[in-house]
Amino acid sequence: MKHSSVDLLLLLLTIAVLTSPVYSDLVLSKVERRIDVTSQIARVTKTLKVVNSGSESVSEFILTFPKFLGNNLAYLSVSHSEGKGKSKRSLVKLSVKAANLKGVPDSISVYSVALPKALTKGDTLTLEVVAAFTNVLQPFPEKISQRDIHLVMLQESAQYLSPYAVESQSLSIKLPNARIESYTNLDGTKLQGTELKYGPYKNLPQYSYSPIVVHFESKAAFAVAEKLVREIEVSHWGNVQVTEHYNIVHRGAQLKGEFSRLDFQGRPPSGVSAFRHLLARLPPRAHSIYYRDDIGNISTSQMQSDSKKTELLIEPRFPLFGGWRTFFTIGYGLPLRDFLFASEGKRFLNISFGSPMIDLVTEKLIVQVVLPEGSKDISVTTPFAVKQSQEIKYSHLDIAGRPVVVLEKNNVVPDHNQYIQVYYKFSNINLLSEPLMLISGFFVLFITCIIYTRADFSISKSSAIYLAKLHWDEVLATVQEVQNIIHKCLATHDKLESSLRDLSRTGDIQTCKAARKSTDSLLKDLSKELKPLLTFLQSSSSASQISPKVEELITKEKELQEKLMAKHTTVVEGYEKKSSGRDIENRIASQQQKIIALRQEIEDLLEFIDEI
Amino acid sequence: MAAKPIASPIPVSMYPTLSVFTLAIGLFITAFFFIYEATSSRKNRSLGKELATATVASVFLGFGSLFLLLASGVYV
Repeated sequence: MKHSSVDLLLLLLTIAVLTSPVYSDLVLSKVERRIDVTSQIARVTKTLKVVNSGSESVSEFILTFPKFLGNNLAYLSVSHSEGKGKSKRSLVKLSVKAANLKGVPDSISVYSVALPKALTKGDTLTLEVVAAFTNVLQPFPEKISQRDIHLVMLQESAQYLSPYAVESQSLSIKLPNARIESYTNLDGTKLQGTELKYGPYKNLPQYSYSPIVVHFESKAAFAVAEKLVREIEVSHWGNVQVTEHYNIVHRGAQLKGEFSRLDFQGRPPSGVSAFRHLLARLPPRAHSIYYRDDIGNISTSQMQSDSKKTELLIEPRFPLFGGWRTFFTIGYGLPLRDFLFASEGKRFLNISFGSPMIDLVTEKLIVQVVLPEGSKDISVTTPFAVKQSQEIKYSHLDIAGRPVVVLEKNNVVPDHNQYIQVYYKFSNINLLSEPLMLISGFFVLFITCIIYTRADFSISKSSAIYLAKLHWDEVLATVQEVQNIIHKCLATHDKLESSLRDLSRTGDIQTCKAARKSTDSLLKDLSKELKPLLTFLQSSSSASQISPKVEELITKEKELQEKLMAKHTTVVEGYEKKSSGRDIENRIASQQQKIIALRQEIEDLLEFIDEI
Repeated sequence: MAAKPIASPIPVSMYPTLSVFTLAIGLFITAFFFIYEATSSRKNRSLGKELATATVASVFLGFGSLFLLLASGVYV
C-alpha cells in the first residue's frame, strides 16, 4: 500500500511539472468510463466524444494510461461507431499502436489511434475503447489464512488522464456482490449497490489525475495459466483434434499457515479464497472429451451440451489456494466441417485463438496448428499481433512430417478469443498416402511369407535326411497331381451322366454321341498324364506306402470309366432301337449299382490319400 | 467466393462398419493365402496365385486397419 501511494505521488508530481504540451486542439466533450472488476481482470470500457475545436485537421488520437496500468495492459481495442441513431450503429475497429511522444513523462504509457478520416474543424467523433488489464487487482493483504476472505485493491484515477482537455467525465466501477472494505471518498462519490460512481467532473484540464483506491472482497477465481500449449491437429479424414496443456496457478493472496482438509470440508466458510472449479466453454459438437494429468484420468468433470455450445466443468484434484499450482490436460475432437473451409483454391482453418476457459488469464500462450502432411503455402491471419514460427512434427504414418504453425502470445485474456485463419494448400491425393503405407506394410508381410516358404534353410545339402525330404516333397507333389487328375476324371464322368439325363428328356441322340466323343478324348488325355506319375511313384522307394493305394485308385477309376461307358452305350443303343424307358432301365440297373459302389470306393480312397 | 466447408471423403459415422467389413474380408483372404501356403507342395505352387491373393488381402487389410484407426479416434 505504502509503495503504491509513493508511486502515485511521483506520478502526480511529474504531471504537475508538465508544461502542458499541446498535440492538437482536440477536446473531449464527454467521457464515460466503466470499470468491471467482477472477475480477476479489470475490464475498462470508455466512450469518448471527440470534438476538434482548432482550425487544423487531425488524423491521430492519443490514448494515455498511467504506467502501472499500461504495463499490465493485455488487450486494447478502439472502435468508432458509424452512422447516427441507435439502429444504424455498427462498430469499426481502428488500428492502435504504442507510441512515444516527446514531453510525456515515463510514468505515462501512450497509444496512438489512427482515425478513419481526418477531423476538420468542428467535427465530432465517438470512440469506443475496450481495455483489459491483468494483475491490477492486487491482493491486500498479500497473505491470508485459510479462514480469511480474499480482499483486493484497485488503483485508478477518478479523473480521466488524457492529453486533451475534458469537458465532462464520469466513472463507474462495477464491484462484485460482496463486502466493500473501503474506497476513496471524493466530491460526488456515490455507492449504489455494487456500483461505485465518481463524477461527473466538468471542465478538466489536460493530464488531470486524482488517485482513488477501492478495497473490496473478490470471490472470483484468480486462475492464471502460466503456460498453456494448445495443439490443434487437422485431419482431413474428418476431425480437428485439440489438446490443451494447462499449468494453472492461483494468483490471489498467498495462503498463510497450513491447509486443513477438515476445516475446508467440515466448517464453512473455510477456504472461500480457494477455487474448486474451472468452466470451459467448448465449441458445439465437441466429442471424445478427456481430462487427465500425469497420473491418469481425472474423474471429477461434468459435461453439458446443446446445439450452441458444450460446457465442460472440471474440478482439479485439489482446491487451489493462493500460490498453489496444478497441471492438467484436456482434449477434445471437433467435426472437420465446422472449422475447415475452401476458398479460392486454398483451404483454411477458422478456429478461436485463446483458451476456452472462462475468465482465465494466460501468461504465455502457445498455439500449435498441426496441418496434414503435404500442406503447402501456409499463411496465417490473426486479428492481433502474434509471434509466428514453423516446425515439423512426426505423428502417425508420417514420412516427411507435418508442418506446424506455432503462434505465441503473452498475457492473453478472454478478449483475445477471436478467430484466426490458417491458410494452406492441400491436394486430396495426399490423403491416399496413409492407406497406401498400410497396404504396402501388409504386402511386405505377405511377400516375406512367400519367400520364406520358398527358401531352403538346410545347412547340409547332401545329408541323407535332407535328400529324403526333398524326395518326399516330390512324392507329395506327384500324389497331389494324381488327385487333381482323378478329380478331373470324376467331373468328366458327371458330365457324361448329365448328357444321359438330357437324352432321356429330349431324345436327341446326336448331342449325346458328341458328348461321348469329347469325354472319350478328354479321359484318354488324362490317363496319358497319369501314366508317368504312376511310374514315378512305383519307382520311388519312399512312396512304397502310398503307391499301392494310388495304383488301386487308378485301376478303380478305370473300371468305373469302363462301366460308365458300357452304361452309356447301352442307353444310347436302347434309344436307337426305340425300346421303352423301363426296358432300358432294367438293362442298366445292375451296371448302375456297380457304378455307385465304385464311385464310393474311389471317394474313400481319395480321402485316405488326402490324410497322408 | 464464399467459403465452402470441407468434410471428410467418407462420413465419419461409416468408419466402424467399414472397418468391420473390410477387415473381415481381408482376414478371410489372408486365411486363404496361408492355407494355400501350408497345403500346396513346393513344386506345384503358383507364384501368380500367391501374389494375387497377397495383393487383394493387403488392400483389404490396409483400408480395414485405416478405418479401424479412424473409428477408434486415432485420426491419422
